Amino acid sequence: MREIVLQTKKLTKSYGRSTALDHADMTVFKGDIYGLIGRNGAGKTTMMKLVSGLTEPTNGEYSLFGKTGMAAENEKRRIGCLIENPAFFGNMTAYQNLRYYCYQKGIADRKQIDEVLELVKLSDARNKKFKTFSLGMKQRLGIAFAVLDNPDIVILDEPINGLDPIGISELRETFRRLSRERGMTLIISSHILSELYAVANRFMFIENGKVLKEVSKSELDLECSRCIALGTDDTAKASTILERQLGITDYKVIDSHEIRIYDENARPNIVNRTLVQNDVDVMKIHESGVSLEDYFKKLVGEVKS
Amino acid sequence: MINLMKADLYRIVKTKGFIIFWLVSFLVSMLSIAYHEPGGIMLGGDFDLNGAQKMDIKQAAMNLVYYFLLIMPVFGTITAEFTEHTIKNTITSAVSKGKFYFAKTVFALVYSLGCFLGANYLFYFVNRAVNGSKYSSTLGEYSKVLFGQFPVFVAIVSAFVFLAFFFKKGAAFNSIVIITPLVYSLFISIFCEIESAQKITEKLVEFEVSTMIGKLALGCSQSYRTDCYIISAAITVISCVLGYLIWKKREV
Repeated sequence: MREIVLQTKKLTKSYGRSTALDHADMTVFKGDIYGLIGRNGAGKTTMMKLVSGLTEPTNGEYSLFGKTGMAAENEKRRIGCLIENPAFFGNMTAYQNLRYYCYQKGIADRKQIDEVLELVKLSDARNKKFKTFSLGMKQRLGIAFAVLDNPDIVILDEPINGLDPIGISELRETFRRLSRERGMTLIISSHILSELYAVANRFMFIENGKVLKEVSKSELDLECSRCIALGTDDTAKASTILERQLGITDYKVIDSHEIRIYDENARPNIVNRTLVQNDVDVMKIHESGVSLEDYFKKLVGEVKS
Repeated sequence: MINLMKADLYRIVKTKGFIIFWLVSFLVSMLSIAYHEPGGIMLGGDFDLNGAQKMDIKQAAMNLVYYFLLIMPVFGTITAEFTEHTIKNTITSAVSKGKFYFAKTVFALVYSLGCFLGANYLFYFVNRAVNGSKYSSTLGEYSKVLFGQFPVFVAIVSAFVFLAFFFKKGAAFNSIVIITPLVYSLFISIFCEIESAQKITEKLVEFEVSTMIGKLALGCSQSYRTDCYIISAAITVISCVLGYLIWKKREV
């Protein structure tokens, strides 16, 4: 069984009458690259602020490495964060800023500063003042800060904001390396679905402070990929016919009324005819398949309706 | 918490405030040493600088200048974190909000008061070396005067720390702390015009910050000294407790 490193239970944050996060449940396993997807103001940053200790929950709780309450507070040293915009002292260089945080975190080995600067490709700018940095450089320095002391969990809020396409691609590779080589668990938020999809292995969709869905990449692929959606009262009998008479094995029984066929060779008219000939009532049959954007829109739409 | 203070010490020496503090202290001290006259800032404090005290003691009576200079260490230590938004880096990775408050308060107090003592002793030793005993007292006498003023400066820095956490923004903090002694003097002027408020006016003048600093240096009654220390202790405790309570409730 995979180790849970971060779990929230009914985590709620209200500011006066407005609720920024509403009974949010989230489970992050060790080694995950966890994508937090939502529109601006959906509650992604609030979720990150809560688990990083920047703000206190109104209700609910969270556990870090299986510990809750004060014990979880002590585990926060194992988290590296970049929340909202990267912030550093403008009159200090990249190196000096990271050295300042080395003192704060009690990191004696100064080599780590050069290592993380190299990791985010800022070695050449190590002696440049932060106030002279471009937005992309600031983001990268923020990521360097987040991974400075090799934390077990890295929380990055909109890390690709302000980066050019090459920067985004390099950062994507950096995330994979951090996960693969250093065994870090990454929680990354973004409203750019395609970018998160390219790097994450688990996703949480959030809207208006409510968690819409938590899915793995394979589940998401399954839900978004092209398929034939088949509506019937007798999914058991329909499954048998699909396998024995049509030789279709790549399908999934969604619930007691729906089967999704992913076999690329399956044709709706043949499936329909075969099932009807075998006395299986077909309520609906149509080709399906949505883009990530459409999938997200559909989720949001379901909640609103 | 110690790590946080080490980090602050590393950073603070790189700030402009650090350079300005020492530059202004140095200039004020050097002018006094060169002209054999105490120099600094006065806000119409009710004390006499024409007594028989030596020049260094009179200079200590003008220590109100450190009210304004000590704004810089507190600004650099606390409000800079809010202005640059770096506070979220610290709270998410190094310490909790509560520990942040304590670490910053202790560091601001130790650092500011260290600067106050350091600058004054620097003046003392240079003055002693340049002008000799004609213009300088013994180290013991001078230390007695400085440490006699010390509780007032502890209260001043504590109040600054409270205001830094309260206002968070550098501009608001600076405006308030700079204007406060002037507004206090304005109140005294207004009360002076009210005949029925003469007693209150006298008390206000007596415990005006520059008057306290001056009288504690040049000599005063034991009861006045005690009153000054009680007021200073009250300001220190109220500032620290109130600051913590407000800070704990604030969103970062």
